[in-house]
Amino acid sequence: MKIALVCSAGMSTSMLVQKMREAAAAQGLEAHIDAYAQADLKNHMEDVDVILVGPQVRYLKGQIAKKAEPYNTPVEVIDQMAYGTMNGEKVLAQAVALTK
Amino acid sequence: MSQNGFMQFIDTKVMPVAGRIGSQRHLVAIRDGFVAIMPLIIIGSLAVLINNFPIPEFQDFMTAVFGENWKSVGGVIWNGSFAILSLLVVAAIAYHLAESYEADGLSAALISAGTFVVLTPVTEDFGLAMTWLGAQGLFVAVITALISAELFRLFYNSDKLKIKMPEGVPTGVTKSFNALLPAAVILTLAGFFNAFVVNVTGVSIHEWVYATIQEPLQGFSNTIGSAIVFVFLNQVLWFFGLHGTNILGPIMESIYLPLIEENQALFASGVSAHEVPYIVTKPFFDAYVFMGGSGATLALIFAIFLVVKAKHYRTVGKLSLAPGAFNINEPMIFGLPVVLNPVMFVPFIIIPLLMTANAYFAIYFGLVPKTVAILPWTTPPIISGYLVSGGSFTGVVLQLVNLTMATLIYIPFIKLAERASIKKLEEQKAAQVTSDAQGWRDA
Repeated sequence: MKIALVCSAGMSTSMLVQKMREAAAAQGLEAHIDAYAQADLKNHMEDVDVILVGPQVRYLKGQIAKKAEPYNTPVEVIDQMAYGTMNGEKVLAQAVALTK
Repeated sequence: MSQNGFMQFIDTKVMPVAGRIGSQRHLVAIRDGFVAIMPLIIIGSLAVLINNFPIPEFQDFMTAVFGENWKSVGGVIWNGSFAILSLLVVAAIAYHLAESYEADGLSAALISAGTFVVLTPVTEDFGLAMTWLGAQGLFVAVITALISAELFRLFYNSDKLKIKMPEGVPTGVTKSFNALLPAAVILTLAGFFNAFVVNVTGVSIHEWVYATIQEPLQGFSNTIGSAIVFVFLNQVLWFFGLHGTNILGPIMESIYLPLIEENQALFASGVSAHEVPYIVTKPFFDAYVFMGGSGATLALIFAIFLVVKAKHYRTVGKLSLAPGAFNINEPMIFGLPVVLNPVMFVPFIIIPLLMTANAYFAIYFGLVPKTVAILPWTTPPIISGYLVSGGSFTGVVLQLVNLTMATLIYIPFIKLAERASIKKLEEQKAAQVTSDAQGWRDA
């Protein structure tokens, strides 16, 4: 499963990616998780299964969802508190739930 | 207004507006264009900084090892980067705008760069006027990129305006012709427009735009009033959990980037950091106001470590310290949270405004030199204060003063927030106990 996290420059989401990878490894879940800057996301649209948007750029959700529609890729905003506390487990669960 | 009504107001009224600005394709293209050229800008900036580093021993050493002309290295790096800011950004913006329409970005970028040169005066010995390739040509560059990329995609995405190729012609060949017609039209239009403007105004488009739009706007931006408005908007957006720096990016880059370029160009030519013209620049905000991120949250982290005992706050503080040192503060903003936290509203807005005023007057009265270098926004405070001021410790002192002031103001508010959260916990506990008791009695 490929999970893409999106924020303005891909900086703060990359911290969360680290935590999510740890959580995935702990659960024995096969997952490729990466953070992308908003401008960079379109180059990876084809091969991601779920897109999570940072709450600080949640206004981009509509635009991203439109681009993701042809691929049937779900797009959702990351839970604010889980994002702030860098709760990798919770965000991973959010991603997994979206692909079902 | 109740908390819920307020939230609803934000969701239905503020969010869509921020969303439209944050995802408006031309503004996004401008912002992404600037982001793309930022590595070159920073390299050019560092080259000048090294050339003019105010340590005599260093200067002597470089002269001894590389000879009298060692500064030519930094000089030509500057020429190939910051000095041609407008030429670089015209291509980058056109690329992003064309790509957003799913048109060929590379063709759009090349045509746009060509168009920009069409509009740029040539010197008597047939050189491009470097003046206009740099920050002074920035407005023309942005407008050129937007218009030429728009024209380009009109042709590119319209079947009627494409040159038809007979079947069997390889797609690569067809594609190479796709850019031909728009290139011809755009460059021709630009050529005629240039001739027309020169004929009517007697000066080049660059001189006209610079004198009538860019220069007055820059003069206005270099005031404490506009700096305060900029910081205020940024803070309000972030308070609602919206990426203020991202949304305001196009304004920030096209107004405050040229100012630092002009400062630095003069600094490179030997003018002291005190004598250069502009106080308010992009690094001014990055180094002296947004320390630890928007809202100077690094100071908030210090305040937590100093006075707060509540576990949640301390955990968030610890978690936020490392990214905070690099001016990344999403964990604080969303984890504490600062977002929509009524207790944090006042300090989060007021502190950066005070820091802006502090920095402005410290520089205005000559206590601290003006900013003469631009760094990645992730450069930690202290280091950034020393470097943006052209290697002056007074820059660091200003940062320390601002950080201390911010920490002191944050302290009472974070204590208040702590007390409120403890009270809420106790109420929840009490409610739990009564409901437990209720349950026991019912049973």
